[in-house]
Amino acid sequence: MYKAIRSESFAAWAFMAPGLLFLAIFTFWPIIYGIPLSLTDYSVITETHFVGLDNFTRAFQDHNFLISLWNSLVYVLVVPVIQIISILMAILVNSRIPGVKMFRAAYYIPVVTSMVAVALIWSWLLGNNGVVNYLLLKVGILSEQVSWLSTSSTALYVLMFITMWKGLGYYMMLYLAGLQGIPADLYEAARVDGAGPLRLIIHVTLPLLRPHILFCTVISVMGAVRVFDEVYILTKGGPGTSTLTSSVYIFQKGLEQFNFGYASALGLIVSVMVAALSVLVFRLNRRGGVNTY
Amino acid sequence: MTTNRKGFTVSLLLVVMMSMLLAACGGNDNTAGRPSPGSTGETGMEAGKPVTLEFWTIALQPTFNDYFNELIAKYESSHPGVKVEWKDYPYDAISQRLLTSTASGKSPDVVNLNTEFASQLGSKGALLNLNEYLTDEEAKSYFEGIYNSTVFDGKAYALPWYTGTEVLFMNTKLVKEAGLDPANPPQTREELVEWARQVHEKTGVAGYAQQLVSKLFPIDGIPILNEDKTAAAFNTPEAEAMIAQMRDLMAEGVVLKEDAEFSKQIQYFSGEQVAFQLSGPTFINFIKKSAPDVYKNTIAVTLPTGKANLRLSNSMDLVVPQKSKNPEQAVEFAAFITNAENQTAFSKVANTLPSSKASIEDPFFTQSDGSLEAEAKVASSQSLDKATDYMVGVPNAGDINSALARGLQEILMNGADIKETLNAVEKEVNQILNQDS
Repeated sequence: MYKAIRSESFAAWAFMAPGLLFLAIFTFWPIIYGIPLSLTDYSVITETHFVGLDNFTRAFQDHNFLISLWNSLVYVLVVPVIQIISILMAILVNSRIPGVKMFRAAYYIPVVTSMVAVALIWSWLLGNNGVVNYLLLKVGILSEQVSWLSTSSTALYVLMFITMWKGLGYYMMLYLAGLQGIPADLYEAARVDGAGPLRLIIHVTLPLLRPHILFCTVISVMGAVRVFDEVYILTKGGPGTSTLTSSVYIFQKGLEQFNFGYASALGLIVSVMVAALSVLVFRLNRRGGVNTY
Repeated sequence: MTTNRKGFTVSLLLVVMMSMLLAACGGNDNTAGRPSPGSTGETGMEAGKPVTLEFWTIALQPTFNDYFNELIAKYESSHPGVKVEWKDYPYDAISQRLLTSTASGKSPDVVNLNTEFASQLGSKGALLNLNEYLTDEEAKSYFEGIYNSTVFDGKAYALPWYTGTEVLFMNTKLVKEAGLDPANPPQTREELVEWARQVHEKTGVAGYAQQLVSKLFPIDGIPILNEDKTAAAFNTPEAEAMIAQMRDLMAEGVVLKEDAEFSKQIQYFSGEQVAFQLSGPTFINFIKKSAPDVYKNTIAVTLPTGKANLRLSNSMDLVVPQKSKNPEQAVEFAAFITNAENQTAFSKVANTLPSSKASIEDPFFTQSDGSLEAEAKVASSQSLDKATDYMVGVPNAGDINSALARGLQEILMNGADIKETLNAVEKEVNQILNQDS
């Protein structure tokens, strides 16, 4: 028995090794190396000096960084919306209606499309003379053109919408896998007890999807706090600091202004924040699921 | 047992972290040392050793391969023992490449950068002070305003290369519809605003679109920093007035209420949503392709000046990184590329403007065949003597630019209070100037 477990765990490690190796080189090592870097004024091009905790004290006095943290937290609001809609979509595409496979594929297309392409398409759609303004003006919802991405009151929410639009298919697929793991007899038993479609969702589907909801929520929270591509391509954090998220600010400080030491400190602060949020999500979702063994 | 193991693990981690810390602090010593400035004009043979110079440019291959291959061959034949390796990178990639190659100890020798990036690197001490290598005559051969844009504390960090100044492009169809005469174009910013207002009233089209960048300050004679570049100097009543006027013009629809990047400006002019465009001559290439009809109705005239009565250039420079292993030969090669003869030749093939005074005497820059391209070239080259880069000697130009641009966006796009925002940006710029990193 013990031997069997040992050989099984050896096989598991062997399968995980290639992935872990890449993770170690490209993820874990940079994170660890970021710690000493955050205590220096490292800039690649000039001599490096030890500056102690200066970068951290500077970070908490940096108005733009605090704004970027706030924007990143606001961005997390996209998480519940994505989860709710993608669960509903998964339930819909899990039914046996004709042509459902086409819908599954269609919803998944944005996920496999490059973010650069997605961002450019949306920038045209949302342009002053774009389709969105045209349609909203036509039906009378707007009385004048709106510069969606150049107006501080709309820019961040528009970016959140784009993130949501691109991510829905991904989470839908994960939930679909979860739904297909729920035994059919549970639904039958509930129906025998007189449960309608809504009760089935509330009392059977959602509790049994909890592990999936937990997983999706955690990665979605991380994604929201670290959002970069769409923000950088479409607004670069503007207008002003309206859409400045922490990742964009860290990128600007490090790779555009060569303050790698300071950028490492900011990165560590954001990492701690993401970890704290993840722990919080775990705490809130500890029960439920299907015990398969 | 477990406690011991845990303790051992923690100690090991601490040791690793401390060693990395020391590595991070010590791994970037500038061991190159300052070479003794030598007279330029010698061959590249140093104690009989052949020298390979790595020369980087931005987005010039393959269009100008013939020009550069010929130029490099000419240089190599007159400098036996020197070999030039030419590499070309996209605009967005060059800074990353420079960082990674510097970090791995393989710095290039001569690099083409724009003024902002050259200033940013120069003020961080990453570039060679060229004043130690150039003769007075060589330094004075460039237009002063452009040469001085990367000079800090008397140290010149870049040699100006090809440049461009803005001209005013005018959609004559819209201008005539508004009852204005394109033959008598506006000479000052105030006149341009009046023209834009009239175009907007008569045709419904906006005057022009622009990007909200820091150059709006120097155009109106508002210095970004004080004389000795130690503190912000833009927080003045004049700046408040300038921004307030811009805000009013946007509210009126005379200027588009948008922070319009160059690609957006092309779209607006091509779609006849604006009547004017303020930009360098390269703009023509874009509208020629995207809107041939608009191109036919467009003329180029000298750019109306603001209160400062100067025109801003947008230059490309050549720099020599501090970590170049062949500084003398590198400076010599950079001076060769940017000398009057070679700059004139490059302007002719690339339709750019030279930054060397002597080049501008060439008939190529004074005679027009009536085409839009030639008009723009003559109009912009005649303003080179008044041209200056707006970030003249500004340390950490990139950081300061971002701060000012963000502030302008906050006021003009987000409706923030002018005075409060200027105060906040002033504080931010002073912090940038006071920090060492």
